[in-house]
Amino acid sequence: MPRRLGLMLAMAALLTALPLRAPAAASSAGLVVGVAGRCVAETGGVERPLKLGDPIAVGDTLVVPAAARLKLRLSAGSVISVASGTRLTITAYAAEAGHREARLSLAGGLLRAVVSAVAGPSRFEVDTATGTAAVRSTDWFVEAKPGSMQVGVLAGSVSLESRATGREVTIPARWGARLEAGRDPVPPRLWTPEEFANVISRTTLH
Amino acid sequence: VSGPRDQAKRMPRSVAALLASALLLAPVAAGAYTAAGDRQFPATLILPQIAPTDEFYANFATQPDAAATPGAARRDTDLSLVYNKTITDRLGVQFDSDFTWRDRLAAPSTSGWQNLATTVKYLAVLDPAHEMLVSLGLGREWGDTGSVRVGASSIGATTGTVYLGKGLGDLDLGMLRPLAFATTVGYQVADRDPRPDLVQTGFVLEYSVPYLESKVRAFNLPDPVRAMTPMVETFVTTPAGAGRGVTSAVLGPGISYAGAGWEFGIEAMLPLTRAAGRGVGVTAQLHIALDYVFPESIGRPLLSPQ
Repeated sequence: MPRRLGLMLAMAALLTALPLRAPAAASSAGLVVGVAGRCVAETGGVERPLKLGDPIAVGDTLVVPAAARLKLRLSAGSVISVASGTRLTITAYAAEAGHREARLSLAGGLLRAVVSAVAGPSRFEVDTATGTAAVRSTDWFVEAKPGSMQVGVLAGSVSLESRATGREVTIPARWGARLEAGRDPVPPRLWTPEEFANVISRTTLH
Repeated sequence: VSGPRDQAKRMPRSVAALLASALLLAPVAAGAYTAAGDRQFPATLILPQIAPTDEFYANFATQPDAAATPGAARRDTDLSLVYNKTITDRLGVQFDSDFTWRDRLAAPSTSGWQNLATTVKYLAVLDPAHEMLVSLGLGREWGDTGSVRVGASSIGATTGTVYLGKGLGDLDLGMLRPLAFATTVGYQVADRDPRPDLVQTGFVLEYSVPYLESKVRAFNLPDPVRAMTPMVETFVTTPAGAGRGVTSAVLGPGISYAGAGWEFGIEAMLPLTRAAGRGVGVTAQLHIALDYVFPESIGRPLLSPQ
């Protein structure tokens, strides 16, 4: 009997863990809380225009064309502001019982992430072609360009890891760093107020 | 405010060995001192720092001298403690205090503080695309605040300085793109005679391995090398006006090693003139980047727009 009980507990644990896994293509990640211009979500080759209050799901690729902007509120309270000219995929997202696991893929463009604090374990990562930026809770920017990416941090800290060399730097508040394809991250430096003003204005939805 | 002899900050050999061991064991994680775009200008050991920042550093130096008469210095050993604080993103103030131990010929050793010094610096030009910055400084050495036993003057002096830093990464130079240079030109005006006015010039040439790995080509060099910047500094102090004193010049080849929020540098000090000492000295320096370690408290400008 104790063996059967153990088996049942293991199955229950497995079922509990399932929603945290990736293929939950239809699982909701958050909502659109601001939109300007014609932004769309692509899922499985199907495109749907986004409007205020629309749900965003794991597997959605969000396309924000020139002159458009988008703002999302994720289910654990984090807010993502997406600048024009950005293509962003919600690769994985799960947030429940104080835990969070989020993985976004930024093919190009700029986003601002105000990542809320959660009580339990948290992973919040943004992948680009050149590297990965990971945070716990912070207010930061990540921009992907062909062959490079850059991160700027307003509050908290972000780690930036090179996909090619595996080297990582930690970027504290008020600092930023760049990463070029195939190389180590450029050592972090203080960002100027003008640099922050630039990315703030590009991600602010009026 | 001080010349190369005053900048001869010394360090016991055992402390140097300890710090060298520590840096070899530390994980490689690049930090920053002063930057223009993707160019980091490491902290210099003999030249004054070229831009305002939030930092604390300690500099040790030891330099043998040619004592010919009883009571003259055979060796000076200095410990400098320097605190830099930004007022705004571009304006900062530096507080500098040096303690000197002096070994003398046929006389007991002596020790004491040098004069207190403060410098206000303003970052006048910052051109990230061209990896260039220009700062202006106004320094004040407060006369009669140090000990005459170790050479502190009872007469104060004021120094105006221009600082320039330039990286070559924006030029099509291939493997030479990690090169950068910085230079300073200052004019020190004494409060009164007999202290002479001085022209102070400095130059440093550096080759940044972090820049090479992150901006030019990834060689996957081993960890201790990956964070190093070899550099060579020179600092020359010349009296303004004939017969007012002698020229002092020192050459400092060495290495800076950058960690996350700190830098360690070590250089030889080769006197180029008799007034700069006799024999090879050593200087070492440990920087803590307060703006990196405490970015949201003591490491931020007093008046910050962010």
